Amino acid sequence: MDYLKYVDSNSFLHKLDPRTKFAFFVVMAVLTSVIKSFVALAFLFVFFIIIWKSCHIGEHILVLLSKLKILLLFIFLLWLCLGLFQVPKVEGGPIFFQTTFSWVGQQHVFCFDWYDFYKGAVYSLRIFLMISSFYTVLLTTNFSEMILGLRKWHIPYSVAFAIGLIFQIIPITIKELQAIMDAQSSRGLEIDKCGWATKVKNYVTFSFPLLFRVISKGQSISLAMHYYKLDFSVKRTAYKVIKASRLDVYFIAANIVAIAITIVLRIMFYIPV
Amino acid sequence: MDYRVEGITYKYSKEGRTVLDNVSFSIEQGKVTAIVGPSGCGKSTLLEILSGVIPTLISNGELSGTFQKPEESLVSVVSQTPENQLFGYGVEDAIAFGLENMGIPQAEIAQRMDYVLDLLSLQYLRARSVANLSGGQRQAVCIASVLAMQPDILIMDEPVSSLDPNGKSLVQMVLKQISLDGNTVILVDNNLVWSAGIVDHIIGMLDGKVVFDGSKEEFFQDFELQHRLGVIIPQEVEIYRGLLPYFPDLKMFYTVEDGLLQLAEMVNTKLFAKSYAEEEETGENIISVHNLEKVFGDNFHALIDVNANIPEGKITAVLGQNGSGKTTFVKHLNGLYKPTTGDVRYKGQSLLDKSVAQISRNIILVFQHPEHMLFEETVEAELTFCARQQGIPFTKEKINEVLSQYNMLEDKDIFPLNLSMGKKHTLTILSVLFSSADVIILDEPTLGMDGFLMKELEALIKMLKEQGKTVIIISHEIPMVFRTVDDAIILNNGKKIFQGTKQQLALRDDIFDKIHISMPPVVVMSKALGFDKICYNVDEFVEEAKALTRKEAE
Repeated sequence: MDYLKYVDSNSFLHKLDPRTKFAFFVVMAVLTSVIKSFVALAFLFVFFIIIWKSCHIGEHILVLLSKLKILLLFIFLLWLCLGLFQVPKVEGGPIFFQTTFSWVGQQHVFCFDWYDFYKGAVYSLRIFLMISSFYTVLLTTNFSEMILGLRKWHIPYSVAFAIGLIFQIIPITIKELQAIMDAQSSRGLEIDKCGWATKVKNYVTFSFPLLFRVISKGQSISLAMHYYKLDFSVKRTAYKVIKASRLDVYFIAANIVAIAITIVLRIMFYIPV
Repeated sequence: MDYRVEGITYKYSKEGRTVLDNVSFSIEQGKVTAIVGPSGCGKSTLLEILSGVIPTLISNGELSGTFQKPEESLVSVVSQTPENQLFGYGVEDAIAFGLENMGIPQAEIAQRMDYVLDLLSLQYLRARSVANLSGGQRQAVCIASVLAMQPDILIMDEPVSSLDPNGKSLVQMVLKQISLDGNTVILVDNNLVWSAGIVDHIIGMLDGKVVFDGSKEEFFQDFELQHRLGVIIPQEVEIYRGLLPYFPDLKMFYTVEDGLLQLAEMVNTKLFAKSYAEEEETGENIISVHNLEKVFGDNFHALIDVNANIPEGKITAVLGQNGSGKTTFVKHLNGLYKPTTGDVRYKGQSLLDKSVAQISRNIILVFQHPEHMLFEETVEAELTFCARQQGIPFTKEKINEVLSQYNMLEDKDIFPLNLSMGKKHTLTILSVLFSSADVIILDEPTLGMDGFLMKELEALIKMLKEQGKTVIIISHEIPMVFRTVDDAIILNNGKKIFQGTKQQLALRDDIFDKIHISMPPVVVMSKALGFDKICYNVDEFVEEAKALTRKEAE
């Protein structure tokens, strides 16, 4: 299944004004940066699942999860390991192993407890929710709508166009990389049954033809911009107009309620991390 | 008023070679002008000058001469790869893009969009996303987006080079409509097969100079020039050219129907359906495919219960429209795709648990775009890439021999990506010669090739067969397929609907009707004229026509 690509559908998220979705991402990014309560984050996660399910993009989020699993596991293990050298900041809960040891003339504590798992889970979940909120917008807003939305926010057309172009090019570049990998393995370059070092070396090898293809595509795009008389210094008109609808009002209301509940849960179930 | 190209001379740098040398010709308003010539003759540079890319975007060259047109004339271009040209997610977004850039008011954009979509009969695509269109539809939308800007001159750069027969028909229909509507069109394409019926005026170029400037009729009569320019011409014209010395009263024909009408009288035969003996398949199979099913993640059934055999030491074509499952099928043969169910066997051994690199020791797939394959620093290193990956020994003498055989010895130390498109294709195929593989799969190898390169490719494929290799070829160039292959597999909507010899296939008009592909004119005409055998190339056809006439005379 494709990833980093708009999903053509007619769900309520697809019908929203792009500005509403941009605001959703900004608010959720701020919220997940601030909230460090597992219960509150878990509630947000459930809220997100409801959104994904109702928009039929659940499978695409699972693809994202599979792509992020190494990163999330790394974050989880990192915070778990850092926690091994601290005692829990709150009383209670199981401690699996505890000892002290001296290193470079100082006494240190080694404590393997429930709190290490808690911290790992909180930080992984925060990162996942932050990324998935952006991904939700990406899956449900095509690049033409993105440009329109950004223009409505008075972002200069050159900037809005560049952002839209990036999201137009990303899926093409992923496809190109896959074609290059397929072509090279078809000629005998082992990329399936080889070690990590060889895999990394191969990716360096692939980067060369990929770079050439991207440059060549860039040239074609600049030619096309010339053919279509694109001139950022000239005032453009717009064929399509975006405007907020009742759906946007409902979505904003649902988000306000969800944010309020999240904040309440944060206050009620806060464990310092 | 006509437009005039007057004395254009161009070099990409002061020290560089002269790419265009005193090029002059007129472009007739409301007509379709084709610019033809072999790879490297200067067609693309001329296109860049006519469209203003030179000197607006490329300003470091040396340009003299003028393109005489009214001050505010708008020249726009449809490129050969619409996916690099269309901006916007939906069809409406893509068509509106140029108009918005020109500052056209919203109401007028809507009006112009309706006009072009009606003109080109594309209203049914209006609500679609560009990404979900077929190649032909995408090119048609690209043409619509440029036409909506109401250009004074519309330039089309090899607009059908990457399209399947359905896509070509769609663009052909669109071009016909544009020409009937009185638009001025310049077609830059060395393949006149699809556009012969629409083109009015032809400019022939060779080594940066204009060597022909005249009507289509004059051009098609000048056989020596067609050959010199490496132009790919309709097979009907090739047949006319071959028959003319023996049938001097024959008049030029561009369609099978016209040709049959004239020839039926001249060879004094009635048009009838003759029964031909079917040649049976003989020999061993090197690859066998059993109950192959492929279902992709989005539940798309790309292949449905395909059973097929690839005969050893023969050339087999895999035919079908885009989306019929051809590429998915061959990607199972070299392990790039693993079947959802079913099996693929090479000499009786299943390939399912082998990696692509392991399979490449026996089966190599040469990709459609050489840029995906070439990444070594020199042509020599590229040539021996497969051999080095597989640990196959090779000698300097062998490298020189192969390179000189294909006129590439002087390119030995050149950076491969700097070669012409045709040479890049040739290099990717030649690199296979140094590998241990005995099955070579070629995916659309004619992409970007002129007539000369096509001939070289045909010779190369035949040489691979003579060396005992099995060749599998995917191509939309049906006359070339019939000239080259022994067998064919036809796929339609993921199902195999035919497997057999070329001779068996030539008798199955029903199959060609089903996949909306035309049989080559030589096949259709030799069958319709009741020749003793079905012909697959023009030489055979001419010989049969002569033989039939002799027989009648006796």
